[in-house]
Order: sequence, then structure tokens, then C-alpha cells
Amino acid sequence: MSATLLPEERPLDAHRASRSRETKRYGFFPGCVAKESCKELFNSTMLLADKLGIELIELTAASCCGASVVNDVNRDVARVLNARTYAQAEALGLDDVITICSTCTGHMRAANKELLESEERMDQANAILGKFGAKYSGGVMVRHLLWMLIDDVGLDNLRSMVVRPLNGLKVAPFYGCHIIRPENVNGWESARNPHSLEDLIEALGGEAVDYAGKTRCCGFHVQLEKDGIATNMVGQNMRMAKDNGAEAVITPCPLCHLALDGYQQDAGARWGRTDLPTFHLPQLVAYALGVAPEKLGLNKHLVSPREIMVQRELIS
Amino acid sequence: MAKIKLDLFRFDEAVDTVPHRDLIEVEVPEATTVLDALETAKAEIDGSISFRRSCRSAICGSCSMSINGVTALACKTNCRDVVKDDGTIAVDPMQNFQPMKDMVVHMDPFWDKYARLKPYLQPKDKDSEHEIERRVSPDDMKKLVDVANCIMCATCYSLCPVVSVDPAFAGPAAIAYAYRFIEDVRDAKRDERIAQISEDYLWLCAHCYACSYCPKHVEPNNRIVDVKRAAIKDRVMMNERGPRHALVVSKTIKQTGMLAETEVILGTVGRFNVVGLIKALAPLGPRMALRGKQPPVFVKPIPKVDEVRTIFEALEVPVS
Repeated sequence: MSATLLPEERPLDAHRASRSRETKRYGFFPGCVAKESCKELFNSTMLLADKLGIELIELTAASCCGASVVNDVNRDVARVLNARTYAQAEALGLDDVITICSTCTGHMRAANKELLESEERMDQANAILGKFGAKYSGGVMVRHLLWMLIDDVGLDNLRSMVVRPLNGLKVAPFYGCHIIRPENVNGWESARNPHSLEDLIEALGGEAVDYAGKTRCCGFHVQLEKDGIATNMVGQNMRMAKDNGAEAVITPCPLCHLALDGYQQDAGARWGRTDLPTFHLPQLVAYALGVAPEKLGLNKHLVSPREIMVQRELIS
Repeated sequence: MAKIKLDLFRFDEAVDTVPHRDLIEVEVPEATTVLDALETAKAEIDGSISFRRSCRSAICGSCSMSINGVTALACKTNCRDVVKDDGTIAVDPMQNFQPMKDMVVHMDPFWDKYARLKPYLQPKDKDSEHEIERRVSPDDMKKLVDVANCIMCATCYSLCPVVSVDPAFAGPAAIAYAYRFIEDVRDAKRDERIAQISEDYLWLCAHCYACSYCPKHVEPNNRIVDVKRAAIKDRVMMNERGPRHALVVSKTIKQTGMLAETEVILGTVGRFNVVGLIKALAPLGPRMALRGKQPPVFVKPIPKVDEVRTIFEALEVPVS
């Protein structure tokens, strides 16, 4: 299916080649969750970067992207916080910032788009950044690791680097809303029928499972608002994945990971047991490229991938 | 001309207990709409195929249906863009609604939620006591123009994952339409309206942006955020978890530069709300702790966190 937008409505920078692509030195924005409750995501990303021979330069003084929540209290604050992060990347000579979270991707891209499209907003941001001597000149683009893997490393190249193929493991992709929607912010691929994760799963020797839940919401952002909502959203999506033959799930978003991994057991009461282990994107790629599985933090998952990995002869 | 196989949901609540599917092949021009393909099937092959339609040009909002699993206006969807590799297009009734006959659904829950808004202007005085027209400046009107484009097609409501698990949620269209009156300078019921839409679970929006697929670019996703900001500005129902969550996230970012997960949970649910915390965390909390996956209790502020505080202060961002 095609995107709903006309070509001229889609963002231009999503596939742009960057200077970082030449130098193999990228800005790296891990986001809050990879530094707090999903440290295994941060670690496996760094191990994957080593394998790929690229340098991820962490923007250590960067703040939270706003997580889609600060927009609820103020229309400008997320934009200016992210402008500060871009200014830091520019000061380090980096024009390409890689994220490992769908929510960071979407909201950092939205902020960048707002800044680049309006001189007034850029001036407002720089007037505030000027108070502490920073300036953003608009030269940064934000991409998810997933996009970088496909555009810069390339699927063929990845396929040739696989030393431990996934042996036909049936993996259900779970995109996470903010890496695909809104389309006029992300636009790297069709939001209604994305296939980058499927392509990646197949390049790693797995089998991609198609199901309607792959572009739906995990419920993370309302897990605290009312009991049971996120649990049911997780149950609904994991039921569809399981019924279509999935043995595991892969997600580019740690928020989705927390919801899918955390709530599946509780969701079982209404939706039936699914027990699908939920891999972070870099965990599975790093595994296939030869990083030792015990370094990937797989033991941190609440739904253990151990049984299915043994069954598929991925670990002993 | 192109051959297209329509994979149709068929069901008549008057006679059927379970739905079935019909595969109907039609020959249509290369660049035809899904609605035209359905019209062709109805005219040439099976006159009993039922679907709502009227204007054929994305104005009336009748022909929303699920096309290959995603709700859209059939009259605005080109077959060429959606046809699968095997030449089929799956057409189903909108999700989140009870089917009536084929693609026709019972729209009542959608209209009920709309009616609850009192979707008409409620000025301070009656029109009969008002001798001249009620004038609005172009600037005040500009922000309402996008919402006024809503054709109530229910595409957003059908795509909403929260509606699918909790029918009490007002849904994107109703919240967007609430915004249309909340921000209307002529209306005198702003705070009542904010309170009412908050009671209808404004804060249950999951930030998934599925409603950004709105065929009329109303962008309910952005209007929902506008209504939340109005609620915080006017301090309406501030003791609910939704506004508390937004404010505590804002506060932890101001203090540490990071979204401090533990503090956000305590601040949203209420740090002295022991029963609430147990319900929100058990048995997940202990399970996460066992795996070494609990968020840290204290988050170390990022380097140069003063810069973040400067941003919050310059923009006068509320944190409580």
C-alpha cells in the first residue's frame, strides 16, 4: 500500500545521505529508557556498532526528547529542548543523530521539522539557547538505527555479515507508532504498510510474520492513566501475532518492549497465553552478526527467549 | 482497464449468525477508486452488496470502510495504491463498530459521544437578546478552521486502539470537536466543556497518532493535545492521573534533564496512594525487580542541566 501523502508532502531528509555516513561517525541519542530500565538496549546497540565498524558518539549532555508528554503542558518546550540537543551535535561536527527509540525518533524529527520550516520558531529557540551560548543552525537530521542499518549499511551487506542466521525463527515485527506516524514527520516508509523490519528479519535468516497488530499501539503511554488499558492493547496485538504463527517479536522501541514484555503475562487472563519474547532491534541483529548472546542482556526479559532459542538451535 | 478481485466481508444481521466472504472480480479503469470498484460490483455482479456512499468526493463522510485492514474513505482511495500483489483488495466494515449489513455499521456509539459534547455554540446570552451578529477576529477563527473541516466520517474513531479496548473513551473526533467549541471566543461554557471531555477520558489518548490518517487533515491527534493544554491552563480536573502524569514528566525533565521513570510512576499514581500503587505495579514491579529491570530510584542529572532549567523558565512551562 502507498502512503496517504503526496510525494511533496513527505519529509525530504529521511533518506538523505549524511556526512556521518562517509566518516562512519554518528551522533547517538540513546534516550531515557535505554539509560534507565532497558540498559540491555543501550549495551547491545554499542556492541552492534562495534561489529559494524561504526562509531556512535553519545550526546551525553542531551536531555529527554519530551517523550510526547511535555507537549501536553507547553507547545514550545519539546522543540527547544531538542534544538539544544541538535546544537550539541553540531558543536561536535555531527550532522546525523541516530536514535534507538520510536518515540524519540518521532518527536525529535517533529521538533526538527518545526524548526526548519519556520524562521520564527528557529529564532525563538536560538534566543533561548543564546542565554547559555549555544546555537542551532539547522544542519542535523535524526534517524532511527533501523533506517541507518538499511540505508547506510545495506541489507545485502548485512546479509553477508550474518554468521549466526536465525534458523527460520518466526519473528513478528512491532514497529511502534512514532517511527511511522505521523507520515509527514517520519515518511521514511509507508506508515500503513511498512516492511523494513520484515526485510531485516529475512536478511538475518528469520521468517517475518505478517499480522494487523504490527503498526498498532502498545499502550505504553497510557499504562498509568487507567488500569488494564495497556494490558488489553498488548494482549490484542500479541494474540494476533501468535495466531499468525509468531515465535518471537522484534521492536525498534524500548517503550513497546516494556509494554509487550511486561504486560503479556497479565494479558493472558483475557487474551490467552502468548509468551512471545520481545527482542530489542539491536539484540537480534547483534546476535546474528556474532555477538555472544550472554552479552546481550536477554536474561533481563520477563518473557524469556531461552526456550524458543534453544528449540531453534540458536543457543544451547 | 484492470482486473481487481474484491475480497468482501458479507453479513446481514437480520439473517446471518456469522459473516462470510465473497471474492468478486471486476474490470475497472486503471486509476479508479475503491468506491467505484464497489459500485461496479454492485451494478454488474451482485446488487445485494451494501455500503454507505453519497457524494463520491470526500465531503459527505459516508463511505469509510476498512480497506486492507486500514480504515479510509473508499472514494478517496485509489485501487492502484492498495491492490495487493495477488490482485485482491480486502474490504471490511469499519473496526470498532457493530456490523449491520456488509460494510454498513451501527454508528450510534459515535453519534452518542458527539451528542454528549452539546455540539452547538452556547454564548453568554440568547440569540434573541443579541441584536448584531457575533463577530470573531480572523486570528481567533483561524485555529478553528481545520476542525471545521471534520466530516464525521469516523475514520479516526475506527482506527483508535483505545476505543477498541475501552468503549468509554470519547475517541478522536469528539475530542477534536470539543476543541472547536473550547477555543471559540463566543462560547461561554469553556470550563464545563473541558470538564466534560476530561470525564469522557480525554487523557486516555495513547499518543499513537493513528488518527493522523484523517482524510480531511483535521489532525485530531494535535487537537487532543490542544485540549489537554487548555485543561492544564484552566486547571480543570487536575487531580486526575492524566494531568498529573504530564506535569510530573515535565518536572523530572526540568530537574534532571531526563524522564525519571520511578518519580513519574509515583507522581502519576500518587506517592501516598498505596492501593493505587499496588494495583498499578503488582505483580509487574516485583517481576521486573527480579530480572534486574526496575528503573533507578534516583536519576543523576545530565551535564549542564542548568541549561534545561533555563529553557523551562524562559517558556514558563508548568511543572505542578
